[in-house]
Amino acid sequence: MSEGSGTMTYRKTAGAVALLTSAALGVAVPSAASAAPASPCGTQAMVKETLPNGTTWRLCWRIHDKAGLILDQVFLSTKRNPEPVQVLDSIRLAQLHVPYDTGDMEFDDLTDLGMGGGFLETLTGDDCKGGSARVGSDGSEQPQQRKVLCVSAEPSGLAYRAREEAWDDNGPQPGKLDSKQGHDLVLRTISKLAWYEYVTEYRLHDDGQISARLGATGDLAPSSEADANRGWPIGTGDKYYSTMHYHNAFWRVDFNIAGKGGEKVEQYDTALDGRGEVTAKLKTTRTAIAKEGNFSKVNQRWWRMTSPNSKNADGHQRSYELVTGGDDRYEGHPETKPDVTFTQKNPCEKYASDNAVDPECPANSKTVIDFAKNKENLSDPVMWVRVGFHHVPRDEDQSPMPMHWQGFDLVPRDFTAMNQLTPDGRTGLNGDPQPDPGPSGAQG
Amino acid sequence: MVRYRKWGWGLGIATASAVTAFGVASWQANAAPTAPSATAEPPGGSGQARVSDPSPLPEAATGSGSDPLTSGELEKARTVALTPELASGAEDVTGKAGPEYLSAEIDVEAGGRQAELYYYDYKTDKLIKQVVDLTTGKLAQSFSAAGMQPPASEQETKAALGLLVADPLGAGFKESYRKATGKELNGTDGLVATAHTYTAKPADQGASQCGNSRCVQLIVKTENGQFLSVSEFIIDLSGRTVARLK
Repeated sequence: MSEGSGTMTYRKTAGAVALLTSAALGVAVPSAASAAPASPCGTQAMVKETLPNGTTWRLCWRIHDKAGLILDQVFLSTKRNPEPVQVLDSIRLAQLHVPYDTGDMEFDDLTDLGMGGGFLETLTGDDCKGGSARVGSDGSEQPQQRKVLCVSAEPSGLAYRAREEAWDDNGPQPGKLDSKQGHDLVLRTISKLAWYEYVTEYRLHDDGQISARLGATGDLAPSSEADANRGWPIGTGDKYYSTMHYHNAFWRVDFNIAGKGGEKVEQYDTALDGRGEVTAKLKTTRTAIAKEGNFSKVNQRWWRMTSPNSKNADGHQRSYELVTGGDDRYEGHPETKPDVTFTQKNPCEKYASDNAVDPECPANSKTVIDFAKNKENLSDPVMWVRVGFHHVPRDEDQSPMPMHWQGFDLVPRDFTAMNQLTPDGRTGLNGDPQPDPGPSGAQG
Repeated sequence: MVRYRKWGWGLGIATASAVTAFGVASWQANAAPTAPSATAEPPGGSGQARVSDPSPLPEAATGSGSDPLTSGELEKARTVALTPELASGAEDVTGKAGPEYLSAEIDVEAGGRQAELYYYDYKTDKLIKQVVDLTTGKLAQSFSAAGMQPPASEQETKAALGLLVADPLGAGFKESYRKATGKELNGTDGLVATAHTYTAKPADQGASQCGNSRCVQLIVKTENGQFLSVSEFIIDLSGRTVARLK
């Protein structure tokens, strides 16, 4: 049995061996089969659903004992763009770090306990009302086939609205109305970690957006008392102060846009740039992120993963943008400070903190900070997104605790030439809304 | 990596079983979705969005692609992973011969059906990883390292609870049990424990060996659903001792 040292090389070698083996086996593949894309998973592990607006998401799901729900090979097709195009190689939780403000308790829930296996709840009651509770392995050491994944289609509100203006002799008249209800394909599992219950949720919108979020419900930690600086009185008077704490969630996002890989990471910043004729001018600049690193949001900063190898029908490189929202940054550890970390894909980098739980991998590569330390070139980038929630208990948390959410969005940017949901009659509205018909129109 | 992925799928075709073939057919049928056999009824009745509600299939003998390990695959992998050397040389949490089995997963990056099994050897205080190639049925690779502490098994959680209840430091715990239930604690009867693995922190006093030793922190629930405060106790499963943090 070999020791864990020098394992990085070993891992890579193993991959190369697999490559050779499959190449050798590939000879025996019948030509008809090799022309067709292989299914990346069996029927039971596949979700393929078409939403009312004609958008189809298909993916493979599985439960990992530590990471919980994993979505693999996520493809999108729509009524306007019926050819399925890959978006993600995989998405999953990468850590759930829960430190208490008293400083006497902290957990790395994924690697101390695990979101899957026996901690995964079998769906019951209203857990999956209106949806389909799918059976699959719970990922435990003695895997059980249970109803653990809820798949549902949920209204997402008004997707768009636009009314054309029509003119006749009497002036403007109400014209054709385009108004559409949107829907999300929602995938959700529930993990019960003692008193807390966590909902892992992915919402795949019909316009191509993906929303990842973690919900927390259940009950407040019992017997966790603090002073007024670190707790909040719940129950009568001020006899008991329930301890404030953080939920620091990390996700690991691996894009594989159009199956081509090799995404480029770009950061955009917008700043004041003098005065225009009426008000301030602004300038948005792009910074290519070619090497591994940790990044944080400042005013009007955002990132996107761009495919240099795949373009939409307008000739623009397909990309997805990271959109972050509400976030409480935990200052207690270096790895919980950055909003996002981009690293070169490495099978040894699994958990955003407390990563050293694989004897095949280096023992000193423990957090996202370690992952990015050697500033490797990003030829196959992985995105680690951190979103924190500082939970200051309140009377309403009893009982059960109302669900509180934290998460982020992945929004398509130039993934398609137009809105995926463009209705008939608007398909020509692409580009300069009022093109100048004259020869000087190019000056725009 | 992208290259490996593609070849991985290629391997999937090469080793296609009936299950895989069905999967392929289903995957390709996307462009013209067929009417689902059943649909889940959304709240509020018809007119709303629906998803298909397929009947669960019996568990396949073998998985394909990124499918989780099937019971059959895991059984096979465990037989291969538990080498005679491990079975006789290693020790589990109870001191019995053979390593403590922790977890198993599919390695989707391997480009074939490859199982990774994790064990803990209490004799050497090392985490062991056995990689089993499910296609050849052979042990592909083995690794071990000290100082790595993934989540505890059910047997380890039970052992930790036993140690806590039997330890003189557990007196306060027994008192809180009496308060919570009005009964005397009778061993570990009626208690359900959840174990977080514990690694010593810089300011740690009393459990600084944890990390190299395999330690856990428990959450204990009584039969009447109450949680008992035991987070200050650290149970060292390697040393079979209990320490109090504060």
